[in-house]
Amino acid sequence: MITDTATLMDTEVLMAGFGGQGTLLAGKVLAQASMEEGREVSWLPSYGPEMRGGTANVIVCIASKPIGSPLIEHPRGLIAMNLPSLEKFAPKVKPGGVIVVNQSLIDKDPRRDDCVVISVPSRELAQQAGSARAANFVMLGAYVGATGAVSVEAVEHAIAAEFAGDKARFIASSVAAFRAGVEAVCPRS
Amino acid sequence: MSRIQIDSIRCKGCGRCITACPKDLIAFSQELNDRGYTYVDFTGHQEDCSGCTLCAVVCPDQGIEVWNFKDKQTFVNTAGLTENMTHYCPGCTHGVVHRLTAEVLEELGLLDRAVGIAPVGCSVLAYEYFNIDMFEAAHGRAPAVATGAKRARPELIVFTYQGDGDLASIGGNEILHAANRGEKFTVIFVNNAIYGMTGGQMAPTTMPQQKTTTSPLGRDVETTGHPLRVSELLATLRTPAFIARGSAHDGKHSLQLKKLIRRAFEYQRDNTCFSFVEVLSTCPTNWGLSPDESDAWVESTMMPYYPLGIFKQPEAPAVAATGASHDH
Amino acid sequence: MSKVLMKGNEALGEAAIRAGCVHFFGYPITPQTEVPEYLVKRLPEVGGAFVQAESEVAAIHMVYGAAGVGIKCMTSSSSPGISLMAEGMSYLAACELPCVIVNIMRAGPGLGGILPSQSDYFQATRGHGHGDYQLIVLAPASVQEAVDLMTLAFDLAEKYRNPVMVCADGMIGQMMEPVEFPGEGRGEPFKENDWELTGRKGRARRIVNSLFLAPEELFQHNIHLKEKYGRVHRDEMRWELCGGDEPYDLLLVAFGTMARICKTAIDEVRRDGLRVALFRPITLNPFPLAACRAAMDAMHAKGQVLTVEMNMGQMVQDVRFAAEGSRDVDFYGTAGGIVPSPDQVAAEIRERLAGVRATTPIRLWSGAGLCCEAQGDGVPCAGTDGTCDTCGRAMPAPAAQPAPTGA
Ligand SMILES: Cc1ncc(C[n+]2csc(CCOP(=O)(O)OP(=O)(O)O)c2C)c(N)n1
Ligand code: SF4
Ligand code: SF4
Ligand SMILES: [Mg+2]
Repeated sequence: MITDTATLMDTEVLMAGFGGQGTLLAGKVLAQASMEEGREVSWLPSYGPEMRGGTANVIVCIASKPIGSPLIEHPRGLIAMNLPSLEKFAPKVKPGGVIVVNQSLIDKDPRRDDCVVISVPSRELAQQAGSARAANFVMLGAYVGATGAVSVEAVEHAIAAEFAGDKARFIASSVAAFRAGVEAVCPRS
Repeated sequence: MSRIQIDSIRCKGCGRCITACPKDLIAFSQELNDRGYTYVDFTGHQEDCSGCTLCAVVCPDQGIEVWNFKDKQTFVNTAGLTENMTHYCPGCTHGVVHRLTAEVLEELGLLDRAVGIAPVGCSVLAYEYFNIDMFEAAHGRAPAVATGAKRARPELIVFTYQGDGDLASIGGNEILHAANRGEKFTVIFVNNAIYGMTGGQMAPTTMPQQKTTTSPLGRDVETTGHPLRVSELLATLRTPAFIARGSAHDGKHSLQLKKLIRRAFEYQRDNTCFSFVEVLSTCPTNWGLSPDESDAWVESTMMPYYPLGIFKQPEAPAVAATGASHDH
Repeated sequence: MSKVLMKGNEALGEAAIRAGCVHFFGYPITPQTEVPEYLVKRLPEVGGAFVQAESEVAAIHMVYGAAGVGIKCMTSSSSPGISLMAEGMSYLAACELPCVIVNIMRAGPGLGGILPSQSDYFQATRGHGHGDYQLIVLAPASVQEAVDLMTLAFDLAEKYRNPVMVCADGMIGQMMEPVEFPGEGRGEPFKENDWELTGRKGRARRIVNSLFLAPEELFQHNIHLKEKYGRVHRDEMRWELCGGDEPYDLLLVAFGTMARICKTAIDEVRRDGLRVALFRPITLNPFPLAACRAAMDAMHAKGQVLTVEMNMGQMVQDVRFAAEGSRDVDFYGTAGGIVPSPDQVAAEIRERLAGVRATTPIRLWSGAGLCCEAQGDGVPCAGTDGTCDTCGRAMPAPAAQPAPTGA
C-alpha cells in the first residue's frame, strides 16, 4: 500500500447511492483523512429535492495543489452503492479509473473493460463487522485499498473523529467495516 | 369475501396500511421495488378481508384499491389526482390530504372549474398531483393570488393548499387579510409543526420543547412564543364563514377530515365566504419518527394543543375559540 | 490555528462570529439554511442571539433595528429571499447602517430552482431596492475566501457605514473545504461611533431616518452618499489575474464558482499549448473596471475576451463597459442551476481559439449537450437543424444565437 503522500496522484471519486446509504458521510471521512495527510480536498454533495427519498451523491477531490473545479464530470473513481448510480455514472468514469460496485444490491456489470472494476459484498461484510449500516465504510475501504488514495490509518482516525462523543458506539463497527473493505481487495499476506 | 389490490410500484412501504388493517392481513414483503422501497403484500386469508377500505383511506400514495364481496370496486383512486407518483417521504400525510381534497372536488363535480394554488413548501409540486388547473405561488402569497383569481373569475372554485411555514409565518399577513375580507375561496392548511421542505426548521406551529434544526435544544416558548393556533386566531374575525380543524393521522380521523373539506367546498360552491380547514399532518422525516410513531405523535402531542373541531360556521354564530365544538 | 473541514455555509457563520457579529436574523431557505442552523448553536456560546424571523422582509428590518442600535449583525438568504429584502436594504443604505447580507444564489427567476447560479449579478450590483444607493458586493470563489471576505465585509460595513453583501452560490454554500479562521473566538464590536441609538443620556438625541421632505436636503443626502460610493470605488476594488505573467490570446472573465471552473479548464488547455488568462473580480461592486481593461490591453489586438457566467449574460455588460468598444467581449453561459464542467469550458476555449466561434459571440451551453455524454463517449452534442450530428437526438435549445454587437 502506498502511504508516502508525496507520491500520491491527484484524484477524485464520486460516491453515489440512495439517500440513507451514508455516501455523504463516507465521502466526508475520505476528505477529512486526506486533509489530515496534508492534501488539498473538496467535498461537493448533490443537493436538491431529489434527496427526499432519492439519491445522494458526493464528489471528493484530493490534490496536491489548490483545487480548481470541485465539480468533475469524468472522475477517476466511482463508488456505486446502488444500481441507478452505477448505470448513471459508470459510463462517465475516466478510462483507467476505479469502479467499486456494491455487489449486495447490484448484480450488473458496468461493462467498462478499460477500468478496474471491483465488486464488494458490502452488506455481508458490514454485517460481519458488526453493523449492516456500515456498508458505506466497506465500500470506502475497498476504494482506498485499491487506489491507496489515502492511508488506512488516516481514514480510521477520521472515522473515530467523526463519531467522537455521543456517537462513539459506532466507531468500532465502522472501522471494522472499513478494514473489511480494504482487506477484500488487498488480503493480508 | 372482499379483496384489495396493492400497487407495489406506487407503494413506499410506510406501513400505515399494516397498522390500519383491523384484521392484520397486510405485511411487508421481502422485496424492494424499483425505487428502493420495501413494499407491502396482502398476506392474510382472503376470506378474512371485510372490505372496510381503511387501508386505502390511510395510504398516502394511492397504492391500494378495494373490491367488495360482490366484486364491485368500493375504493377507486380519484380522477382528481394525476397518476404521478409523489415526491413525499414514506408515510407523509400530505399525500392523504391531497387525495381527500381531490376526492371532494370529484364528488362535488367541481374538477372542471377548480383552480388550485400550490404554496412553497413540500407541497410545492402539488400542481403535478392535482389533476386540475393549478397555480404555483410565491412563498406565503397564495391567499393573495387566490384573491386575484377568485375576484377576477368568481365562477371558479379556487383553493389554496398551504403549509404552516407558508401560511402562518411568511404568509401570516396575506391569510389574515384574505380571511378578514371574506374572500370566497377555500384554504387547506397543512399543519405539520415544522418546515418540511427546507429540512426541519422551527415553524410558528412547532410544539413547545420540540427539537428542530433552528431550535436544537427544543422550542423555547420564552424566546419564540407559543405555537400559533391559526384556526382559533382566524375564528376571532367576524367575516370568515367556516373554520375547522381535522387530522389525517388515522383512518377514522381522515374520514372525518374529508367531511370538513367537503363542507368547506360546499360553502364556496354556494357562494358563502371564506372557508378554511386546518389539517394536523405528519412529517416523519423531520420529526425523526417512523410513520407509525408520527401518527401517534399527532394524537399524543399535537391534538391536545390543537383541538379538532369546527371553530366557526355560517349556521351558528361564532363560538369563542376555547368553546370549540369537538367532532368526537 | 489548524485547518478544519467545513461546509461553506457553516464557515460563513463561524467567520461572522470571528468578525464580531453577535446577532443573526433570518428565515430558512435552501441552499443557505446551514448558516442559520450553524449560528443558532454557536451564537449563544459567544453571548449572541439568533432570531428566526417570520419572513425575509422581517429579517432585514430586524437587521435595521439591531444595526441602528450599534450592534454587529447580519442576515443571510438566497435569491427569492433577497428579493424580499430589497426594501430593507434601501433603508439600511439610506440610513447608512453597517451590516452584512449573505446571498447564496440559486437559479431563478421566480421560484426557479435551488441549484447554484449567478443570475443575481444584476440584482446584487445594480438594484434590489429603490433609490440611488449601492451595496458593496464581494464574491468568494472558495470556502476559505468566503471566510476571508466575511471578515472584510464587516470591516467595510463599519468603515463606510454601508450594508455589504457577500454574494456566493449554492455550490460554495454546500461544499466542504479545509479552512482556517482568523483570530480566536468572537471578534470586536463596532468601535465607538456617533450614530447608534443608545438612549440620549449625556448627549444630544440621535435619529435614524431616511425621510427628507425638503428636496434640497434629500439632494444633499444623495450627494453625500455619492461621494461615499466614490471613495469605495476608488479604494476598495479587488480582483485577481491568473496567468497574466505570460502572453495570452484569450482572456476569460469569471467570478465565484465559475472562476474556479475556468481555472481548471485553463490548466487543461495549457497542456495543449493554448495561451489563456483569467480575470476574476472579487468585488462585484465596485467592479474593477480599470484592472479588467488593463488585462485586456495586455493582449495583442486579435486577443479575445470571453466572460463565463452561470446566467444569461449579466457581468458581460460590465466587462463591455470596461472594454469601452476597444474590442468585442463575448459571453458563454448556462442557467437553471447547471454548472458547466471544466471540460465544457475547455471545449469552448479550444473552439474560440481555433476560430470556430468567431461569428457567434453569445453561446449558451444547453443541457441538451448531455445526451451524447449519456451514451458514454463524453462528447457534447453538436449539430445543425436542432438535432445532434452524433446521436441524432433533438437539441431543445438553440446552440447559438446572434448577439447585439458593440459595448
Ligand atoms: C421568499 C422565500 N423564502 C424562503 C423560501 C424557502 N422555503 C421553501 S419551503 C419553506 C418552508 C416550508 O414549510 P411549510 O410551509 O411548513 O411546508 P412543509 O414543507 O412543512 O409542508 C421555506 C422557508 C422560499 N422558497 N422563498
Ligand atoms: S399505506 Fe400505501 S404506501 Fe404505505 S405501505 Fe401501505 S400501500 Fe404502501
Ligand atoms: S419532509 Fe416532511 S412534509 Fe416533506 S414530504 Fe417528507 S415527511 Fe412530508
Ligand atoms: Mg410545515
